[in-house]
Amino acid sequence: MNKATSVTLSERLTANPVILKELRGRMRGWRAFIVLTLYLLVMSSFVTLLYVAFAASTNTAYNGGSGQQIGKFVFAGTVGIELLLACFIAPAFTSGAISGERERQTFDLLRTTLLPAWSLVLGKLGSALLYTFLLFLAALPLQSLAFLLGGVEPMELAIASVLLVATAYLFGSAGVFFSSLMRRTLGATVLTYAFAIMATLGLPIAMLVMLPLTALFSYNSPGVLFQTVMIYGFGFLIMINPAATAIATEVILMEEQTYFFFTQSVYNPQTGNSIILPLVSPWLPYVGFALVFGTGLVLLSILAVRRTER
Amino acid sequence: MPTIIETKGLTKRYGPLTAVNDLSLAVEQGAIYGFVGPNGAGKTTTMRMLTTLLQPTSGEAWVAGHSVTRDQRGVRRALGYMPDFFGVYDDMTVWEYLDFFGACYEIPAATRANLIKDLLELVDLTHRRDDQVDTLSRGMKQRLCLARTLAHDPQVLILDEPASGLDPRARIEIRELLVELSRMGKTIFFSTHILADVAEICTQVGIFEAGRLVAQGGLVEMQRRLLPHRRLQITLLDKLEGAQAALLGREGVLEMKVIPPAQNGEPTTTQLLEVNFSGDDTSVSALLSHLVIQGYPVLRFTEAVHDLEDVFMHATKGIVS
Repeated sequence: MNKATSVTLSERLTANPVILKELRGRMRGWRAFIVLTLYLLVMSSFVTLLYVAFAASTNTAYNGGSGQQIGKFVFAGTVGIELLLACFIAPAFTSGAISGERERQTFDLLRTTLLPAWSLVLGKLGSALLYTFLLFLAALPLQSLAFLLGGVEPMELAIASVLLVATAYLFGSAGVFFSSLMRRTLGATVLTYAFAIMATLGLPIAMLVMLPLTALFSYNSPGVLFQTVMIYGFGFLIMINPAATAIATEVILMEEQTYFFFTQSVYNPQTGNSIILPLVSPWLPYVGFALVFGTGLVLLSILAVRRTER
Repeated sequence: MPTIIETKGLTKRYGPLTAVNDLSLAVEQGAIYGFVGPNGAGKTTTMRMLTTLLQPTSGEAWVAGHSVTRDQRGVRRALGYMPDFFGVYDDMTVWEYLDFFGACYEIPAATRANLIKDLLELVDLTHRRDDQVDTLSRGMKQRLCLARTLAHDPQVLILDEPASGLDPRARIEIRELLVELSRMGKTIFFSTHILADVAEICTQVGIFEAGRLVAQGGLVEMQRRLLPHRRLQITLLDKLEGAQAALLGREGVLEMKVIPPAQNGEPTTTQLLEVNFSGDDTSVSALLSHLVIQGYPVLRFTEAVHDLEDVFMHATKGIVS
């Protein structure tokens, strides 16, 4: 007969020995407390600075909508900072995950226990992400200031949170992946940051390359196919970049009034008619991309950890 | 006694270098097996293959009946491994360290608290339970690591140089601990180059050189096989030269050596003669009768026991792969 047992979240988490050990180490003593305090101090100074700068540059007496504008501005600023954290701090927590065990010479010990490779990889990634999420959660009250000022809807906050979680997962997985490949944490960190910089700055560079092509739009009257390829190509470049995704999602929200789907008409110079292209707000495909790509990296890490040395 | 660790033609090659060459050994259940050899002989490579950390190039090995290449989980469940380094986490207390490895061996949280208490008692570290692991002395760290390997109550312990780098007291403590564990029914397979440890506690010895097992067996049996000649020590009251002349040319006498009084610890009035002799007990007895009948004043007639160093020097050639 099955006994009805309710398993709490904390029991579930601590069932993985690696998560239990990592969280014990990370939250021990004053360190976690001091890090959080410093982080919140920096974040609140940043928000204050944004507020003061914006208030000084607009004359509130004659501008009724400025409260909403400040709200949007503060919200965008905090999400921007947290996006940076997700891209560069989450991988810092994970890039030493496996290589650190190798350096400490504990990797062999773990491999001779019954701890499965997936448990080690997911435990390392999970504990790093939990700490990153704690940083996001701690900053939530600051983000919510935007609600006091107006101009931000709860749905925007929800999308921003999903975006942050997906980004932390993608970049955290990249850290674990390089850590599982490399013998040294230094090498893993270098590769992880190279990946992070490519993923965040790759788009602007690609844009610079693409810019001369867009000139074709203004001089010739380009065909439907070319325009379609350009629109979807740009969309693709945006949905693989977290910052571009965040900005484009907000722009589409303001211009198209939608969080999800919208259309764009493309003029056909040959027939004089227009065709309608279905499009999707980039945060949706971005989250899908982050989940698939991140999970791919996690699976590769598990294979690398499971592999017996030859 | 059934065999608990077995290898058949176990070989590990790194490019042109052969680290372990066609190794076939058998360790009996309950044995304390001393795996002796010079540095670089391939002892650690062998242990890494037995503990599923390294894939053999060819050959096969079994621990408690589980194949190290096909049933790694079965092997891991049956053995505890202590490498030749500590592998401790800084920023972790002694009990957390054991708790973590206990959890890695799938021991439920409810039973871990009691297990940790027992393990710490066994290795005599109860008083350091809440201290940081990196504040322990080398000997204590080594004992903690030994406790870690015992977390899941394995049948076999594979220990790589458990006594290296320890002071004499810590070494003896580890040695006593191994004997204690053997009494608890565990098979212990350990590598060392400290021959005194082997002679003291091992029931089985394997001498390993340049990737090959050059000799294997019980200590006494191996001495007999590797060093078939005997060393007779004859203490005489007088007439040393005469006795030498009487023994010269007798069958079985290979070599004779007079040990000067300063080295033999005997009073200066007696004389000590050492004879390298090849023959069975009857011919040893005959040799004694011969001396006595001829009127030589024999005070003592003993056979020196060869120590393991003699065996080791005889078996190995000083090659390092």
